[in-house]
Amino acid sequence: MIKILKQHYEIEEKSRRLFKIHIKKEEFLKTLNFIGLNSNFITLSQITCTDWIEDEVFTLNYILTTEQRDKNLMIALSIPREGKESKLPTLLYLFPQAEVMERDLHEMYGIEFIGNKTLFDFALENWNTTPPLRREFDTLAYVNEQFDFRKGREDNRDVKVETKRRRAEAKKLKAKKEVKK
Amino acid sequence: MIAKDNRVIKIFHGPQHPGITGNMSVELDLVGETIQKARTHVGYLHRGFEKLIERRTIIQAFTIVCRICVPEPDPNEENFARAIEGLAGIEISHRAKYIRVMVLEMARVAAQMLWMGGQSGSVGLGTVAQWSIYDRDLILDLFEELTGGRVYHMYIYPGGVRRELPDGFLERLGKVLDHIEEKMPQYDALFFENSTFKKRAIGVGIIDKDLALKEGLVGQALRGCGIKRDVRKDNPYLVYDELDFDIPTFEGCDVYARAMVRRAEIKESVKILRQVIQKMPKEGEIMQKIPKHRKFKIPKDDILVSTESARGEFNYYMAGDGTEKIRRMQVKGPSLIHGFTLLEKLLVNEELSNVAMIMNSLGICPPEIER
Repeated sequence: MIKILKQHYEIEEKSRRLFKIHIKKEEFLKTLNFIGLNSNFITLSQITCTDWIEDEVFTLNYILTTEQRDKNLMIALSIPREGKESKLPTLLYLFPQAEVMERDLHEMYGIEFIGNKTLFDFALENWNTTPPLRREFDTLAYVNEQFDFRKGREDNRDVKVETKRRRAEAKKLKAKKEVKK
Repeated sequence: MIAKDNRVIKIFHGPQHPGITGNMSVELDLVGETIQKARTHVGYLHRGFEKLIERRTIIQAFTIVCRICVPEPDPNEENFARAIEGLAGIEISHRAKYIRVMVLEMARVAAQMLWMGGQSGSVGLGTVAQWSIYDRDLILDLFEELTGGRVYHMYIYPGGVRRELPDGFLERLGKVLDHIEEKMPQYDALFFENSTFKKRAIGVGIIDKDLALKEGLVGQALRGCGIKRDVRKDNPYLVYDELDFDIPTFEGCDVYARAMVRRAEIKESVKILRQVIQKMPKEGEIMQKIPKHRKFKIPKDDILVSTESARGEFNYYMAGDGTEKIRRMQVKGPSLIHGFTLLEKLLVNEELSNVAMIMNSLGICPPEIER
């Protein structure tokens, strides 16, 4: 099967059972359709996304598995992080399980999947700021901005400062005891 | 909520329902007792692990991964370690591989015992849970002795495992296996052959066998349809190819078939563990030399690793960028598809009283969905 695919694509053999194809965004549907119809990679097992903010792209991997579940094929493509070109067509018509995977990526990275009508809340609720898995999203800043400390925790101190203070106190106490001796 | 026509009732099954498998909720549209539509909601336990891991070194991330699925931490540790080893080109010793298989199979038996408690509870057989949780505790005792932790072990680390086996550990493991084998006929009488369970489970939650492979189902959802798929055989890792074991399947595609597959899998895990006790090399490093934690740079590359958990195939995708931090780690457990695509479909036309039972049979663990 891999031999047939090698006639059409440049395949990187990552291990004996893991292969990777790099494609352009324009070839996305054509490639998926071709592989879906002409190979035994029949299952979409995962869609992964990595944010390469320094290159201003998201790299997605559509991971397909054979019917025997003995080989995996990663179909990798990069899309711009922003703008019209950052959208991708849905794969719902080929794999029903793509629905939940696309929903997840939409929520975590803000990627639009054209044709998927269920891109609503997944694990988050009423999220109205930067999608959280984008590199520019600052978790700590978000938490400090959104939440207050519970009542009764007003004396909350910086751990490092407090440790220093306690050590200094202990040192003083020890010095006093030695003077008494 | 009652709709205007006074006919469709919308209820939320969970996240606090005792029959739910964890912190998730299923929104059900009911006519009488029959479900017309089901929608899964997660997010009650979103801890942002994948985001946290992007900011941590390997040893810092390592303490997080086991928490991705509470009842089954070890396949996560194995995936994490194997992904790092794959990217960094580390080969672990034969002995360490055997120890890892031992840990993974112990974890499988423990997870199946916990499942037995949940599945039996969903049909009102409370006694089974008291027995199975006790038996699970015997394995947790061994884990405590080996790793220092009962639930989260933090034992399988890139390069091998973190601690040598204590003296006499394998003998004690053998005794626990004897006990579990002796107990299985009692579980059969009390649970697997129990007429109450059979009446409730046979013909309920039937999966479409023709679509099971294409739609990405894994574990007992597949094997309960008679489809023999298991990562340990199909894409072997560690030393599974040196061990003799079967992949049990059962025809029926229903809750009962999935339960019987699990029952047979306990037997197979015991068989594997007995071979591990026999074959484990006496000599060999348990941990390879790896760079110091703060200097452990992950090459710029990506990898996909899979482990067969007690509930099915567990995948980790990992990408490195040449720094000490993991650029991206994406987790995909069995629950993502089982809890959404499959569950939402299976619940339609089922009775409300069967929801908890069907959910349990699919092995859904919500924390691994929202990781």
